[in-house]
Amino acid sequence: MSIREIKLHEVLPRVFGGMEAEERVAASQIWLRDVSFERGCRTLVAAESGTGKSSLLSFMFGRRRDYMGDIFADGENVRNFSIDRWYRLRSNSISLLPQELCLFPELTAMENVNIKNRLTSHRSGQWIKEAFDMLEIGDRANVPAGKMSVGQQQRVAIIRALCQPFDFLLLDEPVSHLDSRNNSTVAKLIENTAAECGAGVIVTSVGNHLDMDYKQVIRL
Amino acid sequence: MSKDMVWRLLRRNISVWQLGGYAAATFVGLAIVLCAVRFYCDVHSGAEGDDPYVTKDYLVISKTVNTLGSLMGGDNSFTEDEIAELESCGWVKRVGAFTSSDFNVSASLDMGGRGMSTSLFLESVPTDFFDVVPSGWRFDPVKDNTVPIVLNKDYLTLYNYGYAASAGLPKISESVVGMVPVRLSLSGNGKQMWLKGRVVGFSSRLNTIAVPEEFMAWANSEFGESGTQNPSRLIIETVNPGSPQVKSFLDSHSYEAAGDKAASGRAAYFLSVATGVVGAIGVVICILAFAILMLSIWLLLQKNREKLHDLMLMGYSPEAVGRYYYIIIGAVNGCVLIGAVIVMLAASALWRAPLEAIGVNGASAIPAILTGIAVMILITAINILAIRRKIRTAFPG
Repeated sequence: MSIREIKLHEVLPRVFGGMEAEERVAASQIWLRDVSFERGCRTLVAAESGTGKSSLLSFMFGRRRDYMGDIFADGENVRNFSIDRWYRLRSNSISLLPQELCLFPELTAMENVNIKNRLTSHRSGQWIKEAFDMLEIGDRANVPAGKMSVGQQQRVAIIRALCQPFDFLLLDEPVSHLDSRNNSTVAKLIENTAAECGAGVIVTSVGNHLDMDYKQVIRL
Repeated sequence: MSKDMVWRLLRRNISVWQLGGYAAATFVGLAIVLCAVRFYCDVHSGAEGDDPYVTKDYLVISKTVNTLGSLMGGDNSFTEDEIAELESCGWVKRVGAFTSSDFNVSASLDMGGRGMSTSLFLESVPTDFFDVVPSGWRFDPVKDNTVPIVLNKDYLTLYNYGYAASAGLPKISESVVGMVPVRLSLSGNGKQMWLKGRVVGFSSRLNTIAVPEEFMAWANSEFGESGTQNPSRLIIETVNPGSPQVKSFLDSHSYEAAGDKAASGRAAYFLSVATGVVGAIGVVICILAFAILMLSIWLLLQKNREKLHDLMLMGYSPEAVGRYYYIIIGAVNGCVLIGAVIVMLAASALWRAPLEAIGVNGASAIPAILTGIAVMILITAINILAIRRKIRTAFPG
């Protein structure tokens, strides 16, 4: 079930079809190129708005299929993965923090984390509580997510993304609403967690980068 | 707790009114279907009894005797081809032939000190056409010297209320008749023989004086003079004696059915049609209710689309998120089934007394209950498959 490598072969969002000669495609180091991400990587995908960074992560997560080219997980084309295989991968191998966070506003912050953790049984209650405290939202644990600030919601969603085993952690603008101090704290939590399981971390950003020590920076 | 959280998320858009509307409509439809099935079983249960009132699945037919035939001595027996034609009809389950005695029979008995003697006839029919096979219904010419006899019930009625009353003789019951010794004289083919006879039962189906086939075969071979003859009467087990096909067939072939069996069969046929129409209305209501439910589910899935999507992106399987809808459907359908069965039982209690008054004891409720269970399993299975398909096609990734 574990994935060692994700490889992109000449991938291009369908919506960019016919724009191959335009700057945002021609200058990209990902679109229409061969790119691979290996387990243990620390990769920053730097992009401007509208260049398709959320689309890229959605393609890799099996959330969308509207792309040309191919994406391979350990040599297998992910287009051929069944629904059943995708939901197993999503709870065991690949974790995604979507830009829109996908929290349930009617559930509390803690429930939003637990709804994932009860599915995977990956984290202890103590670990979750410490994570809440570390990200300075311990006192907001029982507040409905819909009543929290975007920055607080972002931190809840990050904790939730870590409540599963993973080989690759895909983070779509994880600290866009966080100050530099919280940015560093989040980066530390993510780095420690990813290092524990030897996972790769792929982060997209339009400017406010997650404060990690990247081994690879790719321009989208 | 996780389940509770998912349940809290997914139940939010469930419309109690839509579910209630579905439950009420299905309840009405299913209750009608079950009542129709139960009523059908009840009125047809008479067919198994000794004296079926509403349903008579047997017809005794003969050829119409006309004046010319009487004068010229025409043959009114059925040929093998005619029997084969009958057997090939869709409304005929099986055909049995009456075998007539080909010898002279006279019976004498002593009743209340008054001896009576009369010529009579005997017939035999295959035993499996009897409504009740009495004990001792056999005859062995070597071992037995008593011939068991089955009389038509009407004969006893005719005696009690016709002959006995006018002749000042006592009325007799079926059991008393069985105790009256009868002496039978068989003669023909240059031979004559006395045998004992005993009335062992009464039939409402066979309008004849019936003896075992073994006896008839032996007696015809011993005393018969004209050899093998074709049967002049046939007993037919029909799918439904009141069916218009039966009447048109009998009319077109100049056959006639004995007694009022065809007429009472038509009443049963009408009853079957009426029950079928009521049942069909119930089925239509069920189908409409089912359509309401499917629309409600579609709407619900559409409203919860985003939540379902987020749960599945988190790693919940389509089955895991669909399970909550399965439970709702199962619970509603289960309640509807229980309610419909209760209504069916209550309704059958209402018509039980009038049916018993005309001699129909009623059938078990189990066939109707099994029908309800089968219908609900079918509806629930289709619901679940539809939900599963909807979830999977709506969220291919």
